[in-house]
Amino acid sequence: MSKSIDLEQEGIEVKKSCCYFCHQNCGVLAYVKDGRVLAIEGDPTFPTNEGGLCCRGNIALQHLDHPARINYPLKRVGKRGEGKWEQISWDQALGEIAARLTAIRDQHGAEAVATAGGTSRTDDWARRRFMNIFGSPNCFHNSHLCWIPTFMVETAIYGWCPFDLDLGTSRCLVLWGQNPGASSMPEMHHIRELQAKGLKIIVIDPRFTETAAKADLWLPLRPGSDLALALAWVNVIIHEGLFDPDFVNEYCEGFGELADHVEQFTPEWAAPLTWLTPEQIRESAYLYATTKPGNIQWGVAIDQVGKSAGAAMHARAILRALTGNLDCPGADLLTGPSQDSVTDEEMEANDMLPAAQKAKQIGADKFKLVTWPGYGKIAELSKKHWGKAPTAEWMCEAHPPSVFNAILTGQPYPVKALLVAATNPVNSYGQSKTILEALRAVDFMVTCEYWMTPTAALSDYVLPIAGALERPTITNSYGCADYLLASQRAIQPMYERRNDYNFWRDLGVRMGQEEHWPWQTVEEAYHYRLEPLGYGAESYDEFVELYRFHFPEREYYKYKRIGFGTPSGKIELYSTTLKELGYPPLPEYVGPTENELDDPDLAAKFPFVLTTGNGFMPFHHSEHFQIKELRFLRHEPRVEINPATAAELCIEEGDWVWIETARGRIKQKAALTNGVHPHVIVTERGWWFPERSMAEPELGGCLESNTNVLTSVADEHCDPLSGTWANRGLLCRVYKVDGDAKGGK
Amino acid sequence: MARYAIVFDTRRCIGCHSCTVACRVNNELPLDMIYNPVTTVGPAGVYPNLSMVHVPLICMHCDNPPCVDACPTGASQRRDDGIVFVEDRKCVGCLACVMACPYGARVKNHATGAVQKCDFCKDRVDAGKLPYCVLTCHQKARVFGDLDEPASEVCKLVNGQRAVRLLAELGTEPYAFYIYG
Repeated sequence: MSKSIDLEQEGIEVKKSCCYFCHQNCGVLAYVKDGRVLAIEGDPTFPTNEGGLCCRGNIALQHLDHPARINYPLKRVGKRGEGKWEQISWDQALGEIAARLTAIRDQHGAEAVATAGGTSRTDDWARRRFMNIFGSPNCFHNSHLCWIPTFMVETAIYGWCPFDLDLGTSRCLVLWGQNPGASSMPEMHHIRELQAKGLKIIVIDPRFTETAAKADLWLPLRPGSDLALALAWVNVIIHEGLFDPDFVNEYCEGFGELADHVEQFTPEWAAPLTWLTPEQIRESAYLYATTKPGNIQWGVAIDQVGKSAGAAMHARAILRALTGNLDCPGADLLTGPSQDSVTDEEMEANDMLPAAQKAKQIGADKFKLVTWPGYGKIAELSKKHWGKAPTAEWMCEAHPPSVFNAILTGQPYPVKALLVAATNPVNSYGQSKTILEALRAVDFMVTCEYWMTPTAALSDYVLPIAGALERPTITNSYGCADYLLASQRAIQPMYERRNDYNFWRDLGVRMGQEEHWPWQTVEEAYHYRLEPLGYGAESYDEFVELYRFHFPEREYYKYKRIGFGTPSGKIELYSTTLKELGYPPLPEYVGPTENELDDPDLAAKFPFVLTTGNGFMPFHHSEHFQIKELRFLRHEPRVEINPATAAELCIEEGDWVWIETARGRIKQKAALTNGVHPHVIVTERGWWFPERSMAEPELGGCLESNTNVLTSVADEHCDPLSGTWANRGLLCRVYKVDGDAKGGK
Repeated sequence: MARYAIVFDTRRCIGCHSCTVACRVNNELPLDMIYNPVTTVGPAGVYPNLSMVHVPLICMHCDNPPCVDACPTGASQRRDDGIVFVEDRKCVGCLACVMACPYGARVKNHATGAVQKCDFCKDRVDAGKLPYCVLTCHQKARVFGDLDEPASEVCKLVNGQRAVRLLAELGTEPYAFYIYG
């Protein structure tokens, strides 16, 4: 907003909008006149951000009308990736896309069409609704890397995921692989306020992060060794008598088996695996178990460790149960889904996908927890217990690496079309080189985007979608919270942009789905969803303007009334749901995806431990590199190296260095910092260069500094439960660009 | 009459640069100008025994501003409420104020030829609003207010034991204060 704009002038309306650049959805006041947003500022009355906006929140106007935004439907006219486009009408685009998808379905079956989505960037329930009615089970996101495996493991054990932290009266908070100081600014503020009043904060992170710097206790573990730490905590809490015997006796199943199982996992056992001392492990376990009530905040780190992820989530979930830190004041709450509004899952039309099509979901044979076999089982239990199920779009997805492989190999069957909504798989999914090959190879690709990303550049059609300030947003934790925060669009989409809702709806209408899409606009659909709340608002916008939030009355100790939503009605430390799916009912130890103990030969070649994927300001995922008001803070990708290590490798601050794993190498600029262990290398994620040519072969330099060239999606590196792949705890080597590949000595 | 001041609580600052971006975007600064950088010191020490502190900088709005004394044209001024600002049209870009400022708070805008710097968003303050950098700070690490209001948070913090001034020995009497751990 410019100093020169008079916000008191006549005709200005203040719209209650929100930021759309991460999941926090901070409240934003937009000053609108004649259909144009003149200025924005953080909404001081919004409960989370209280007027605050981070770097990204401040650039909403730069994002809104950036010269590089895609404003009209584009159709490829040259060769794929050649960068030659024709501007066409929505009508023509939708007609041609519908015809092509129909032909593919007729020839190869509906399952030959897959869709990829961005994280909460899009109208996801509408995408799932379209796909269910169309008949394909192959929807996916990057959700494997982001909470969804955690949600499903915890739901298997407790009957819901206790992601709603009752921090106000908590005394101890564990931030496990989470750095709100770089990724969740409002949360960081609130926990620091509580810390000033006595809340103890334990940070588990290999990096000395913004948050670790403020912690009461920092556990700098080896990247990817979370499972060993969690098992050792369970061992200490059981075998040193720190658990809550009354809670465990009354509400938990399988304590005896668990106690026997973890006897071997002492702090002394875990110390060499985690690079922590037994004293650090014991001290931290005591702090969490004896400073009650307490919380364990979810962070993406464990979702991203690959093959030990599911077991680590299971072990971490057991900690809450042993200490009774569940659904009591100050603990992690089992709210269940919203009882008062129509949930995302209820909008998805999951019943319309035939069982025979569900059975074809790619990856469901290998990874059963977040695909139809596990989701179906858990959704059934959840409906029995809560009356409703978790959102399928997120919790029940095709396995993304397997879909990209299906495009390339035709196995288990051919995937011929990919519909992409606001995601850039080349930079955000694992093993980028394979993904790039798949995107080049797929027969038909449509991308709904804000920008000409490397993925969009390879598409047959690119469609302009509405961004921040141009779309209404309901914030409810992927459709799984019992509360909601509602924000309105400040203006109708500019140029010919549309909500992607209207892409899915209009495509569906053209393909004979009209009776299933009674809502013309997102607002109409949202009004339908919120009407049961009983506020009496005439429209969605009226709800936003008059009420904006819905926080149901909190009921603690629900389990005393209704038990837990598991087969036994109790917390299943020994999980029958996991056992029935063919997984270990108790968390078994496996080492980090790549490590020096299991594979010394690999470690001899790649001597450093690599961690990737951590969030950093001012970017988010693979976004915002176009925006110069942010890019000036970080021109180029940086890799963090300990100064002692750098000295041994003759690397100086600012040197371009290669980082190489068994999958390939990328270059980033050396940032020497004491904040990482001398044996650890930390790369930045997401990087591509929109200032370069977006045509083949350059494609915005999308592999050059892209950390996902280094990550691994090999089946044996994926978590057997969820299929999540390995971003953290890998082995790598580092050497100067133009230097000696052996390390410059 | 008000007497405006700002307090930077470095215990709260996390070095996210939201203030820097909010200021740049809203004051429409060219890319080579920043009014309010944040400098990160650290991580200092040897892994894992480390510390880190973030130090925001802006114009200190000195009570005894050397820039105003140095200005030959009267462009650099101090209002009665303490806000030090540059009246662009009177500035000839001689850089005397840039030389005089011990805090490095002033930059020449090559597009306009005038020297510019933080003016506490005086138009917003006059309209009863907070400066952009203060509103945008999630961590409430910046506290802005009127020292003439004894009940104000800024007054309590400035008069508390922890508040210090940068280069206090120069006698510039900054009205930007810092709280360290």
